[in-house]
Amino acid sequence: MAGEKYEVHRRMYEVLKGRDAPGAKMLAEWLEGVFRAVDEGRPIVYHSFALFSEVIIALDLQPLCCEAWDMMASRVDPQHPLKSIDAAHEAGIPSEMCSFDKAILGSVMRETMPPPSMIALSATPCQNAYITYQAVAHITGAPMWVSDIPYNMDEEGAREYWVEQYKGLIAFLEEQSGRKMDYDRLREVVEESNRCVEYWLELMELQKMKPAPRTGPLWTGTYAGMTSFGLPSSTAAVKATLDRVKNDIAQGKAAVADEKARAVWFHFPVGWDTGLMKWMADMGVSVPFVEFDGYRAEPVDTSTPESMIQGMARRALEVPMVKIAQGATDRYIEDLLYVIREWKADCAIIAGHPGCKWITGAHGLIRDAFREEGIPVLLYDIDLVDPRVTSEDESRTKIEQFLNMVLDRKN
Amino acid sequence: MTALEELSRPAASLSNPYIERWKEKGGKVIGYYCTYVPVEIIHAAGIMPFRMRATGSTSTELGDVYAAYNTCTFCRHSLDQAMRGAYHFLDGLVALFSCDHIRRMFDVWKLGKVELPCSPFYLHFLSVPVKADDAAVEWLAEELGRFRRSIEEHFKVSISDEALANSIKVYNEQHLLLRSLYELRKQEAPPISGTEALEILIAATSMPVEEFNAMLRQALDELQSREGISGYRARLLLGGVDLEDPAYIKLIEDLGGLVVTDFLCFGIRDFWDQVEEDVEPMTALARRYIRNVSCPRMIDHDGRQEFMEFLIREYRVDGIIIQRMKYCDLWGGEGAMIQWDMRKNGTPCMVLEREYLMSSMGQTRTRVQAFLETIGGY
Repeated sequence: MAGEKYEVHRRMYEVLKGRDAPGAKMLAEWLEGVFRAVDEGRPIVYHSFALFSEVIIALDLQPLCCEAWDMMASRVDPQHPLKSIDAAHEAGIPSEMCSFDKAILGSVMRETMPPPSMIALSATPCQNAYITYQAVAHITGAPMWVSDIPYNMDEEGAREYWVEQYKGLIAFLEEQSGRKMDYDRLREVVEESNRCVEYWLELMELQKMKPAPRTGPLWTGTYAGMTSFGLPSSTAAVKATLDRVKNDIAQGKAAVADEKARAVWFHFPVGWDTGLMKWMADMGVSVPFVEFDGYRAEPVDTSTPESMIQGMARRALEVPMVKIAQGATDRYIEDLLYVIREWKADCAIIAGHPGCKWITGAHGLIRDAFREEGIPVLLYDIDLVDPRVTSEDESRTKIEQFLNMVLDRKN
Repeated sequence: MTALEELSRPAASLSNPYIERWKEKGGKVIGYYCTYVPVEIIHAAGIMPFRMRATGSTSTELGDVYAAYNTCTFCRHSLDQAMRGAYHFLDGLVALFSCDHIRRMFDVWKLGKVELPCSPFYLHFLSVPVKADDAAVEWLAEELGRFRRSIEEHFKVSISDEALANSIKVYNEQHLLLRSLYELRKQEAPPISGTEALEILIAATSMPVEEFNAMLRQALDELQSREGISGYRARLLLGGVDLEDPAYIKLIEDLGGLVVTDFLCFGIRDFWDQVEEDVEPMTALARRYIRNVSCPRMIDHDGRQEFMEFLIREYRVDGIIIQRMKYCDLWGGEGAMIQWDMRKNGTPCMVLEREYLMSSMGQTRTRVQAFLETIGGY
């Protein structure tokens, strides 16, 4: 059986499918879809997290978000992404490239990720991603579509160009799969993703409360966006998290009862240090906002095929990370400061993932801007996937020193 | 001094007597960071384009205030040079999303952390697609129209279609002359080394194009009577990231490898293709600049592979050296893919990591020596 080939994910599926939690069900359903596609020879579409899956689902193709595939595996086998990273290194990929991307490449090489029939990519948020996906296309021979994106979306004609790229994506998927888009089906899918977005936004809004109802990443929203956007399972998962949060608020429960300070976390959480947020909470510090949950878009107008495409294209620009990666640093800084204000944070932690040169390259400018605003910021280097680069002790020591300074300042 | 000797000089410094004379006459100079900037538009405005280098930099002390440790050292040195006022002859700067490093370096200029060489200083960022289909060409043609208008507004000049047509012609001539130079490199005993070729390519982007063309014509005549280089161990293709130090190639050639062709920004990628002269200029420029021999910023690995195989045949290449600057993601992935491709077609290929300044040269020398022995060119 084909599923046995993907042993780590198979194990994960077995664990998840037995659980009642809607978030677990969402992921189990996604994995089941991937395994079924492998068994039945149904087309699998690789896509990066920067492209949501609605059009893939509406064409009855199986989406496989490569970043999610590897991230998920580390929960069952922490060695899984490391083995893939090592495989990429052995094939000549330099160590300083993004470890999310190296893991993808290595997983393709090790055949621990089912091969794609086609690849859909957005030319954002960084060049690690699009050189990696080119390499994936090179290895697998799968045809690839790249949605090109103007650098400055405020420029004349930029949005129209981007919308045309989205139409090109649909045409590519149609051509490669031999299927025709059923816009009534797409409407159902987008109405479903709209509901998911609505819950997601409400959840993020509640996180502005003091004290924050949750600390750290709200994983269901992130995974919904990466794996199952437009399926009822993703809506149910996000709604369940929202309901739990509302319930906690009603009961007067908060993530950090004695919330002494609030930090926003810019970037993906440290994947291998799952206890980090709890450890920060023990210091009295909550994290009401993690950039990867930071999705802030309006619902898509489903009245016509054109309005849907335009809406989805617009929404794709609001994907966490894409929103801030695209364009110049001043735009990025503006967004950082907006988040600080809205989520009432006392400080910011910006993880300098080695692959993210567009973030680390902006560190100096961010430092200056935050100094001007009087907001403490920790700019620290850490590999978010590979614990062999920075140890837990080293990482936490830096955070501890920073938070102690923030707490002293507040007192 | 021969024309060849004269053409070797601009590579040694940032400014040079040609730029100084140009400035003395009241001429303006715009720096640009990448081969995807259509220099014809700058030239048509009566302004001299200057391809940005960091020649002469010895440290990154000032640049590191804004550039991170994992920013490539070319950008760190260039930023350092900017902060030290080494680009004092510039009246403007143009960049694009060549890579994540360059775009962030441009932001440092844009957000006022570099003391600008003059006031008002022209800063422009081009939005260049990463693919080259018809929609991308259309977008870029409009973008270049905006670029043209912004130069006109800032420098209070008019760029007429006639001026543009003339500039396209002048640069096409430059490209043809450079192709003639590269034609000589196909010979069994080429009259010019890779080191000299790089010096000429740097001169092509560091002096007024008309003077360069005239001088290159003379140099081509001089080369006719020059004795060819023989006795080398292997014919090499040198590819990879921005390379502006001829000493790097000299190191390879001193060991017996003759660089007969390249896949470089200061090289084939800069001049190989012509701009169509019978097409509306903005469309012609847009087509040429994104359908030119591509760099890894473009989603076009198959096109690059095909072109490299063409170069291997045409220049009878024995081996490929890809030099990659540390932290360059694009060449990190591309270099690996080229190695995979070359393993299949049997051409020896080596990826060398380097920094902007010539450092760890002992190690590089050893690796090149070993590579040449592997090729069997001994």
